[in-house]
Amino acid sequence: MVDVGLLLQTVINGLLLGGIYVSIGVGFSLAFGVLEVIDFAVGEYVMLGAFAGALLAPTFGSEGVFVIPLVFLAFFGVGFLIQPFIHHVTSGDRPMPVLMGLVFTFGLAIFVRGSVLTLFGPNNRNVPSDLLVGGVTIPGIGIFPTVRVVTAAVGVFALAVFMYYLYNTRGGMAIRAIAEDRTNARLMGININRYQSIAYGAYAGMTATAGVFIGLIFTANPGMGLQYTAFAFFMVVLAGLGYLPGVIVSGVVLGLAQSLTAVYWSGEVVLFVLFALIYVVLLVSPSGILGKGGEHAS
Amino acid sequence: MSTDEESGGHGTYLDRVRGLSEPPLWVVGLILVALVLLPIWLGPFWTRIALGALMWIGLAQSWNMIGGYAGYLDFGHGAYFGVGALVTGIGMNTLGYPFLGGFALAGVVGAVLAYVIAVPTLRLRGAYFAIATWAFAEATKQLALVLDITGGTFGMSLPTGEGTIGLPIPGGPSETFFYYAMLVLAVGTVTLAYVLFERREFGYRVKALRDNQDAAEALGIDTTRVKRQVYVLSCVIAALFGSVHAFFITFIHPTDVLAAIVTDQMVIMALLGGLGTITGPILGGIAVFLLQRLSSLFLGQTTFYLPLIGGIIMLVVLFAPSGIVGILRGETTSTDVRTNLRELADRFQFR
Repeated sequence: MVDVGLLLQTVINGLLLGGIYVSIGVGFSLAFGVLEVIDFAVGEYVMLGAFAGALLAPTFGSEGVFVIPLVFLAFFGVGFLIQPFIHHVTSGDRPMPVLMGLVFTFGLAIFVRGSVLTLFGPNNRNVPSDLLVGGVTIPGIGIFPTVRVVTAAVGVFALAVFMYYLYNTRGGMAIRAIAEDRTNARLMGININRYQSIAYGAYAGMTATAGVFIGLIFTANPGMGLQYTAFAFFMVVLAGLGYLPGVIVSGVVLGLAQSLTAVYWSGEVVLFVLFALIYVVLLVSPSGILGKGGEHAS
Repeated sequence: MSTDEESGGHGTYLDRVRGLSEPPLWVVGLILVALVLLPIWLGPFWTRIALGALMWIGLAQSWNMIGGYAGYLDFGHGAYFGVGALVTGIGMNTLGYPFLGGFALAGVVGAVLAYVIAVPTLRLRGAYFAIATWAFAEATKQLALVLDITGGTFGMSLPTGEGTIGLPIPGGPSETFFYYAMLVLAVGTVTLAYVLFERREFGYRVKALRDNQDAAEALGIDTTRVKRQVYVLSCVIAALFGSVHAFFITFIHPTDVLAAIVTDQMVIMALLGGLGTITGPILGGIAVFLLQRLSSLFLGQTTFYLPLIGGIIMLVVLFAPSGIVGILRGETTSTDVRTNLRELADRFQFR
């Protein structure tokens, strides 16, 4: 007999987790759209966010929540300044621009992971929080940790703000125009440097913020990035590269898959299932299961 | 690039970085003789370092075949190294083979696996290929961690003190024994790469495929076939190195032999030395391996070389995309770096 209560609880937990994954996936997909480079460092922004949360929280009275705006702004700045380097590598008269871009972000990821490992050691850290303790009780189903509920709410909120910017402002229009066609956007008088940097900064900030929440729910350690790089790849591969609405679906699928596999099978096989799925989906339908992804990464 | 005038402005950039002008045969002979005599002068410690360098030169060269010559960025190449190591362990432990049996088995399993993976995966290009191979390698690692036959999370010990072909080696396998094993494999790999890619028509087909796949197809080159041949060849070499490595260190664990860093190092060595050249992976292999060993030896920091390597990759991609070979051949000069810096500064104009 399937325990309906447990099943419901697992599904809701998965949906709550999906909220934060969506915000990672949307930023990642956008970074791909404007820079046309798959960012291998995506998981490292998550890791840095979680780490920043763990390190800075004590100075804010051991309250991880207060760190969040600071982390967003700091990583917006970091992303803003890193973007010109990636743009430089992928444009101009360089050979194999896409591959060089991939290798560059790959080097960035190793650099970040190695630096954190060397400076802070391989141990797990916690992001403390007194505000987000306890649980929210839904009568008849169960109790859900406040952290997860708030995480999902913030994920949805961040996504809404981001989508509003993207679809209702001039800056958002410029970013969408660049994603559509970089050369034409430049001919229309759009400052590519500025808007690409804004988009990449927003992506880095959002991803690091998601990292703080992931640090609040789980733990922070220097090696955690790889898993979230895999998650981000999983989401965009499932959705189709550069197709934003698809990411919302695949982020939720990812959250559900993770919590269902962990509860009903084993936590050990989650990553295997995920990687195998990415591989198979790429082979069967490189433009995503929704079939709407771009094909210009070749 | 300011070297366009010198090269006539024709051909792709990678054609210009094909290799250092070939050293005369007597120099190559001298180096080989020195390599053969090396263990006599070096103690076991430095022999160990040298054999490690030889292994990485061979691995970097094997990655260079698919990544540098064919232009397919394989981020899962380390999987074959790990599979070779694990298959050798399984052959010796579970099947009771002598080492040479395990070695042959590693080659065969590597080839079959590479072919099976090649058929669907090589249809993907660019970033899609990179992600797919990376996902394949990580899935392989996760699978090895949950299977029983690979030792799972406990790892696996290989029988020690046994002979290679069932006959005992005098004094047992030693540093010197493995040094010569790696020397034979590494020299074999480099020679094979030189003959195939620089001396045979095959090499021209592969480079045509890298520079423009559609044009190569139009010229009547069966690109699918060529891609598969290069991929399987390079993967088998990685598996063979994994096999010898396993027999050498005698204890293998999936998180070590299938670690992402194995692939990372191959990519970095080939890139730092010069992609699509014979000498590049040799120079890059030595440089990165020594950097890693010496930094852990003298700084006592085992992880410090990671940010170092990451930083080097970024700098190489930014300022010297043709690697050490490019610098030696004068393709990356201080003028190029200055031009690059100026162009980079332009990207910071946000107004």
